[in-house]
Amino acid sequence: MNAITIQNLQKSYVPGVPVLKDFDFEIAEGEVHALVGSNGAGKSTLAKILTGLTPANSGNIDRHGRDESAIVLVLQELNIIPTLTIAENIYINALPRRFGVINQASLNHKAKQALGRVGLKNLDPSLPAGSLGVGQQQLIEIASALEKESSVLILDEPTAALTGPEIELLFDNVRALQKQGVAILYISHRMDEIARICDRVTVMRDGRRIATHQVSEVETTQLVAEMAGSEISSRTAAPSQQKEKITGISVSNLSGGEKVKNVSFDAYRGEILGIAGLIGAGRTETLRAIFGADPISGGEIRLGPEQIPFHPKSPSDSVAKKLALVPEDRKQDGLLLPLSITANTVLASNRSLLLDDAGDRNATVTTGERLALKYDSPDQAVGDLSGGNQQKVVISRWLLCESDIYLFDEPTRGVDVAAKESIYTLLDELVEANKTIILVSSDLTELMSISHRILVMSNGRITGEFEPETWSREAITAAAFAGYENRKETAA
Amino acid sequence: MNMKRFLTDYAPMFIIWVILILLFGSLSDNFLSSRTLSTIAGQVPPLVLVCCGMTLILIVAGIDLSVGSVLAFCATLFCLLISKGNWPVPIAGLAAIAAGGVFGLINGLVSVCFKVPSFIVTLGTLKIAFGLSLLISRSETITVGMKLENLISPLPVLGIPISFIVALCLVVIGQFILSKTIYGRHLIAIGTNESAVRLAGVATTWKKVSVFVVTGILAGLASIFFAARLGGANADLGNGFELSAIAAVVIGGTSLMGGRGSLINSFLGVLIILTLDAGLAQVGADEWVKHVITGMVIILAVLLDVMRGEMGNRLLQKYQQLRQK
Amino acid sequence: MKRDSFFINIIMLTIFGFFLSSCGQNSGDSGDSDKPVVALVMKSLANEFFKTMADGAEKHQAANPDQYELIVNGIRNETDLTAQVNLVEQMVSRGVDAIVIAPADSKALAPALKRAIDAGVTVINIDNQLDQDVLKEASLTIPFVGPDNREGARMVGDQVAKQLQKGDAVAIIEGVPTAFNAVQRRLGFEDAMEAAGIKIVSSQSGSWEMAKANTVASAMLSEHPEIKAILCANDSMALGAVQAVKAAGQNGKILVAGFDNISAINPLIESGEVAATADQHGDELAVFGIEAALKILDGGESVNRKTRVDLITKP
Repeated sequence: MNAITIQNLQKSYVPGVPVLKDFDFEIAEGEVHALVGSNGAGKSTLAKILTGLTPANSGNIDRHGRDESAIVLVLQELNIIPTLTIAENIYINALPRRFGVINQASLNHKAKQALGRVGLKNLDPSLPAGSLGVGQQQLIEIASALEKESSVLILDEPTAALTGPEIELLFDNVRALQKQGVAILYISHRMDEIARICDRVTVMRDGRRIATHQVSEVETTQLVAEMAGSEISSRTAAPSQQKEKITGISVSNLSGGEKVKNVSFDAYRGEILGIAGLIGAGRTETLRAIFGADPISGGEIRLGPEQIPFHPKSPSDSVAKKLALVPEDRKQDGLLLPLSITANTVLASNRSLLLDDAGDRNATVTTGERLALKYDSPDQAVGDLSGGNQQKVVISRWLLCESDIYLFDEPTRGVDVAAKESIYTLLDELVEANKTIILVSSDLTELMSISHRILVMSNGRITGEFEPETWSREAITAAAFAGYENRKETAA
Repeated sequence: MNMKRFLTDYAPMFIIWVILILLFGSLSDNFLSSRTLSTIAGQVPPLVLVCCGMTLILIVAGIDLSVGSVLAFCATLFCLLISKGNWPVPIAGLAAIAAGGVFGLINGLVSVCFKVPSFIVTLGTLKIAFGLSLLISRSETITVGMKLENLISPLPVLGIPISFIVALCLVVIGQFILSKTIYGRHLIAIGTNESAVRLAGVATTWKKVSVFVVTGILAGLASIFFAARLGGANADLGNGFELSAIAAVVIGGTSLMGGRGSLINSFLGVLIILTLDAGLAQVGADEWVKHVITGMVIILAVLLDVMRGEMGNRLLQKYQQLRQK
Repeated sequence: MKRDSFFINIIMLTIFGFFLSSCGQNSGDSGDSDKPVVALVMKSLANEFFKTMADGAEKHQAANPDQYELIVNGIRNETDLTAQVNLVEQMVSRGVDAIVIAPADSKALAPALKRAIDAGVTVINIDNQLDQDVLKEASLTIPFVGPDNREGARMVGDQVAKQLQKGDAVAIIEGVPTAFNAVQRRLGFEDAMEAAGIKIVSSQSGSWEMAKANTVASAMLSEHPEIKAILCANDSMALGAVQAVKAAGQNGKILVAGFDNISAINPLIESGEVAATADQHGDELAVFGIEAALKILDGGESVNRKTRVDLITKP
């Protein structure tokens, strides 16, 4: 019998940009049902709609008489309150009380049992949750979800922070719940895990259900092909300069932080090197490390055909060496929203003592024209511009610096179609001018239409390199998932 | 263009000040006299200098609570060097300024390099500076007699003391640096979004530290004028001074969240605070009235600041109508 | 990394050890249990008057080391009541035998002192007398050892009045309005002016502080150019007033009077810039308070004691 049946579900956060389209889905009692798909396919949105965190626009969700509270979600992002104890975190919604005061003894006793279920029976439940590592915090969340009387359990990437034995314990719990008739929706990038514990798998792409298979009857390659889709790209890259390859920047064995592990590649002048991968694969972190924004723990960077060693300590070092970074989050890391377009445009290039208002305004207008920037006045606050025009201001900042190596992080995210075109045109110009361009994008169609070469990152490593002759959506998607498989090998 | 800037940026504050003067003028017999104005002019310099520093610190989204204590320490040191050490006034003055700079450097280095909130660091240096003032003064009031008279006695023709002229010059220079140099632009940018400024390749660390040092130096300079006005100093001198400074700067429209501020408006804020002090004392207001009214003016001024753009635009329209006639 | 933090710890410990050892010398606290322990709780040690008082007490203790142990405490500024209440509580929990206190407020200290007395501590009030009504309400008797502030202020006022004409205008700069001695001194000034037929045109608080008094005095002089004298409730405020007179260009034409006879006022008395001040002999004040406490601890009776106030003028 079905636990949940969904028919014709529609959802969009912004009018005209659907996240879920005509979505049909069903999950049965006692079933472990996997949900797979690339970034932005709509998996997390579906989970949020099922638990009532966000409403659907239209469509029919039949919970077969179950209350929304019987559907329990373990989120991908950790939701631990670090200052409360482990026990309090587990029972945050149902703290045992006596005369209005939390009954610590009974709380800790119950928590001890709950922790035992996830293999943490030696942990003291009265410790603050913040003192635990990420993996144990994830287990606390799972323990908390298991304690709730749920009939549907949604796990969103539950194993992201777990190690081998912890995963085994989780799977034991999943199987036990399954026997009790609980329906489990298992959202994951990890094909090997899906193969092990799931009964059925549903593939999502662009908010639609593409297919549902019995796990035992489907090959990983077929799932990947379905996730990747086969849209025809509307553009083709500017013809790759068939002259000799001159190195713009070469990176070898670069490591830094948690997410950049032994990354090596060369980028050439007059080329757009695309970097594909899943969200969280370490692409942004790689660009930031190259730019000196985050500390580097190992590896080398060399610039230009002369292979001059470069050790960026801060972004000012990189700017001096003609590097440019267009960050992913332009409001947080790129722009001074209340300040004028002019002030934002000349921020990186202006190195004299006095401000030159007239000169700065002229420069802003001139570079603005190259990017078809739309504005009323160069003195206007950047915060008043649309997302696309804001992005153009960030880019024009680096044009004014006459940078040689451009690191673009999701340059067209949240940007309208017209602005996208101007950014593509500018990229062509930069290629023409023999600049080195490294471009991270989660939009595979875009990457395949503008890049001369594509690297794929997965789980902090480079897992693939493709030329236009060899790439396909399937191959790139497979590489993007590659780093998450065979965990034991990679951990060793 | 300039008229527009003046009307939208400075006119509202200026008008509040003029209203206060007229109000006290009507309530008191002798408020509108050259003596009152020259008295206020004599009280303005120390607070203005400290406010210049405070404005810059607030612009980079920091705060300095130690200014009052540091000022008291510098003033005590200055008076001691002159009276007990028989140092020449200019050398003792340089020593006081240097002492202020050292405190500023400590504030800046600890808060910027170790990422400790400046609120906490400067709260610490507030205590330290007070303790050191007690130590060096041995809890006594140090007087210097007539040695500093020429710093604060009104100049013959202008009727204002030289300390006022120095303070005014520093306000103008400071405003120029803030709005016309790259350094000033970067300070505003750091206060607006430090992460973005850093990722644009602008060095932020030394710029933030420099602002604290400048504030310390200005507190040192202010201590000289303060000691000159009082003819001496003791450890209690700067008690509550930091709050007056923050009040004046906030009245002047500087944002506590960083990224916005103007030295000229801080100057006008100081004029408003001191005119209020002098006026309330002259009309002989009760102690409680003084506090309540001062508090209300601070809140009102900040409310007005929220509506400043609108008010300035209306003034601009009036001005243009007048010109057409 | 480990090494660094080790060194930092060593340095911190050294610094703290240094400070602690220097503190230990001051308090002279040897832990001898048969001697009574007397705590002297002062107002701001930034004010020289209280510093003198503390010095006098310490000298007395040094001369009589066998009789008692002494702990001296002060607060950040004159009006920081909370800090003084905290001090009293800390002294009680420390188990002192007697507290000799110069209250920052005449009323608000009563509950804390009542708790001290209930805990068996002998309390002596010096300098600023506690409000009698409040004491009565709490059914407390706390002996007061100190000067008659009203009488002292009247003496200063009389001295100033001698140099003025009947009908002249004067101004008063008061202390913190909530302090009993501030009120007493104001009343003393008023008594003297009334007796001499002199008009008080303005009377405002200078919060005991030099800078505040300077601002207030400047405003008074602007508003009332006819003022012939400024009577200040303490010497710090008199210093501020003298500067205001100078700034107004009235040097020598306006009389200034103070109270307390701090050392910084002496040259101004010499030069005539300050007409008069009163010496309450602060060094003796604390000593008398301590002696009264010791007497009670020995089983003696508690009595109020008036200490001398001397008028100080240009010889």
